[in-house]
Amino acid sequence: MASAQIGALLMISSLRQSGQQVEERFLKRSRILEDIRSAIYLSGTVARDSILAPTGGASSELAELNHLHQRTDDALERYQKSLDAEEATPFASLRSEIEAYWRVLSSTFAWTDSERKQFRYQFFYSELVPRRTAMLQIADRIGQLNERGLLRGDEQVAKLFDRLRLALIGMIGLTLMGGLALAVFTSVTALRLQNEVRARLEENIEAKKSLRDLSAKLLRAQEDERRALSRELHDEAGQSFSAILLETENLLDAELGAAAKPHLESIRNLAQRGMAETRNMALLLRPSMLDDFGLVPALNWQAKETAKRTGLRVQVSAADLPRDLPEEHKTCIYRVVQEALHNVVRHAQASAAQVSLQWEEERIDLTVQDDGTGFDAVRVRGLGLLGMEERVHHLGGIFAIDSQPGRGTTVKIQLPVAQLRSEVTYETNSHSVSRRS
Amino acid sequence: MKPIRILLADDHNVLRDGLRLLLERQPDFVVVAEASDGREALRLVDEHRPDVVVMDIAMPVLNGIDATKQIATSCASTAVIMLSMHHDESYIVRALNAGARGYLLKDSLKADLIAAVKSVSQGHSYFSQKIRALLQEDYFRQMADKQKTDSLELLTARESEILQLAAEGRSNKEVAQLLNLSLYTVETHRAHILQKLNLHTVPELILYAVRKGIIH
Repeated sequence: MASAQIGALLMISSLRQSGQQVEERFLKRSRILEDIRSAIYLSGTVARDSILAPTGGASSELAELNHLHQRTDDALERYQKSLDAEEATPFASLRSEIEAYWRVLSSTFAWTDSERKQFRYQFFYSELVPRRTAMLQIADRIGQLNERGLLRGDEQVAKLFDRLRLALIGMIGLTLMGGLALAVFTSVTALRLQNEVRARLEENIEAKKSLRDLSAKLLRAQEDERRALSRELHDEAGQSFSAILLETENLLDAELGAAAKPHLESIRNLAQRGMAETRNMALLLRPSMLDDFGLVPALNWQAKETAKRTGLRVQVSAADLPRDLPEEHKTCIYRVVQEALHNVVRHAQASAAQVSLQWEEERIDLTVQDDGTGFDAVRVRGLGLLGMEERVHHLGGIFAIDSQPGRGTTVKIQLPVAQLRSEVTYETNSHSVSRRS
Repeated sequence: MKPIRILLADDHNVLRDGLRLLLERQPDFVVVAEASDGREALRLVDEHRPDVVVMDIAMPVLNGIDATKQIATSCASTAVIMLSMHHDESYIVRALNAGARGYLLKDSLKADLIAAVKSVSQGHSYFSQKIRALLQEDYFRQMADKQKTDSLELLTARESEILQLAAEGRSNKEVAQLLNLSLYTVETHRAHILQKLNLHTVPELILYAVRKGIIH
């Protein structure tokens, strides 16, 4: 593009130069022709005076004529230097005419007076005047040729202008194409970058989503594992302990003798303890009420257990929940309450806690509130809280903690649920009682 | 005296054997059949019409609670004792709602089973000693938490008397005969009791009575 512009500038300056050159050449040649013409006129006048004078020409006139001869010769020399091809023929004839003219004219200088008297008029009118006229005509023709040269120069300039115009048009075209190419390139590049960024973003979102999915899957797997383990403990270990217990008691009844009795009693105690421990372990892993009867009985059990174990007064106020509350929601709420009560016991130094659960058509609200010491909820973010938050977020819910030192703590969660039926789980629902006793 | 005819329903063979051994030591007890799941239990109840069914709360095919419900409608003269490992009230309430008259924990069968069979065969309720203790403990804790006055004080002497008889599983007609009252009077008293104690069903009334130590 820059080179195209420089080219255009160079072209414009050469155009101006060649225009000037043509004009200068024309003027110079015109001046030379004018010189020739005026010298010949002058020589004509001087020759006439000299020839027509009754006596021989004065020496001054001769000198004048010689000078003029010299001038025409000089002019012819100068003109020949810048001769155009088409001027060559007329110039040659002009030259020979002029030479012949001077030759004829100079022959008169040697005339005697009688010869002068006899030939002067005849010579002047039949020789000199036609020659002079012919010369002048030739000079005029050359002048015309010179003018044509000027015209030719103009044509050249015009041609140069045309070329310049073409060049400019080309340049504009080139510039437009360059600009277009640049625009296309820029757009394509921008589009590509944008696509790349979008792809990255999508990858990122995808990665985050799969990470979330993975952690949700882990939570589910953990819960399934706990459920299976809890059931296994109950059904297998628990049942075996109760059978051992009964058998031992039967043996004690059978009165096998004083030696056997303390051993049997020890077995009975072990079996009783084993049974109790198995049951507690199973309940801690995952309370069977959650699967057998639903969330509210499980929460009631949790509250009672916490009260029994720690002395914290826990009140549960819960509406009967819809029968079709999804499994994951039940588990989420149960675990959040468990963790929240755990925190209350460990950190809050509270005397009472209130668990309340409410539901509307499309959401469930849970709050766990205590009357303890509270904490700076903005700065303290323990792992327990993160775990609760994560569970809630998996289900698209909102998790919030409201706490200030000295003002107790409230954990609030809100879970969206697909349109719940208003049908509720009453205590009569026992279809799901698992194989335990 | 006619022996008490008993059906055992438990999916655990060893436990069933132990139960049979324990029960048959009583001269007036007869184990007439054994079932290893709820469906089989229903079939055998139809066949043998036992006085008492000793039933595991959780069994394959059909669980103890659902089986009890069906027995309560198909064979009302049969009393069901539920065996369970659960202390939790939700299990007790559901068992009672299904129609069970007794609820025994599996870690104290020896101490409770004989008494329970005798008790339910006479139309009374029976709970493991431990269950009674737990329910009463719960009740006292709740009382302490809420600092409420004892709701039992709201009842008149006659109402308390009727509460006990009703909780023991006696019908209004039986109560009327025992106390020499008209059926209508008993029904009115009973309605007042439920209203004053904010109770709604018979199982709730029974649990209340257990908590208060009125019955055992």
